[in-house]
Amino acid sequence: MAQGSRGSSQRRRSLGFLARFCALLVLLYVAVALRPVDRAVIVPFTGAVARISAAILNALGEPVTVAGTEIRSTAFAVAIENGCNGLETVLLFASAVLAFPAPWKRRVAGLLLGFAAIELFNLVRVVTLVWIGGHRPAFFSASHTILWQSLVVLFGVSLFLLWAARSRDTLAGSGQGTAAGR
Amino acid sequence: MKRGPRRDFLRAAGHALAGFLLGLGFWFALSAPYERLLAGTAEVLLRAVEMPAVTHLSSRDGEILVERGDLPPAEPRPGLPAADLHFNLALLAALFALDRRPWEASRVAAFLAGCALLFAVHAAALFFQVRSLYATGLGPWSAAHYGPVARNFWSGGFHFYQVAGRFAAPFAIWWLLRQEEGTEAREGPGRRRKTRT
Repeated sequence: MAQGSRGSSQRRRSLGFLARFCALLVLLYVAVALRPVDRAVIVPFTGAVARISAAILNALGEPVTVAGTEIRSTAFAVAIENGCNGLETVLLFASAVLAFPAPWKRRVAGLLLGFAAIELFNLVRVVTLVWIGGHRPAFFSASHTILWQSLVVLFGVSLFLLWAARSRDTLAGSGQGTAAGR
Repeated sequence: MKRGPRRDFLRAAGHALAGFLLGLGFWFALSAPYERLLAGTAEVLLRAVEMPAVTHLSSRDGEILVERGDLPPAEPRPGLPAADLHFNLALLAALFALDRRPWEASRVAAFLAGCALLFAVHAAALFFQVRSLYATGLGPWSAAHYGPVARNFWSGGFHFYQVAGRFAAPFAIWWLLRQEEGTEAREGPGRRRKTRT
């Protein structure tokens, strides 16, 4: 009886997490999709991703130039857009962290570290894709659409699960209850 | 990282990679029939809200072809890239593979239920994509048939799927079905570790 009640309470909390996650995802999406936010934040941020990726490629001996959010080599050009700037995974990660019942300090730390880690991983994706586009163009489409997008999202989900498990352990150690991850 | 959590993490990473590769294999092998099924289902949904019902969807070479009976014959018939819509099946497989024993019958059943839910998401996304195409992609025809609110609604809905939904859907489905398994997996590695020490 007690186990049944605990199970149903866990299920309720889990569904609560899912509802908060979906609501936050929609809210964050609307925030980044607004035209003024796109112009003032997203486009400059995407330009920065393009410039840093180009700097890494040049340092690796792959000569490229940048124009806005586009990286150009002699043989290939790629435009970085939403979906290639890592923000789609950041949205997912941020919604999950904010929806998870953890102290705000942990959530803020998780958000900052997660954002940095996801964007670093995304730089690896962009650099790799520009290289593939220039040297192995036949593999570009599959690498871009399927492989790297999935890997970046899996990376974001893994970060969240790791963060959630550590938050849960910390809370369990300090004697506080938590919910969704159980 | 302690030994226990590191082992758990490596096990989960290995499972996720294996699940992803397996999912990718199935996705490659079954894409063509899956797209036919998806096009047929979305066509039924679209025709259910059309008066008269004029949309016909078919799939060919990784594209969903959109045909409308009332479009001028000279108008080009658009093709929508299908892989973008449903490649997240491999993500779903990777997430379900994170379980301790993903090969158990109950977990395989949960994965199949997850695939069914994801199929419903794909059909809804294709519905939005086609309506978004009608509302914004057919030039003067779109302007004549869709107002600004409708244009924003349909294109915003599909853009949400492109930017956030297609990645969030496998995660949400996995989370939903993951919670229905036994206590052991529900409690996670942290709790199990405590009972061992």
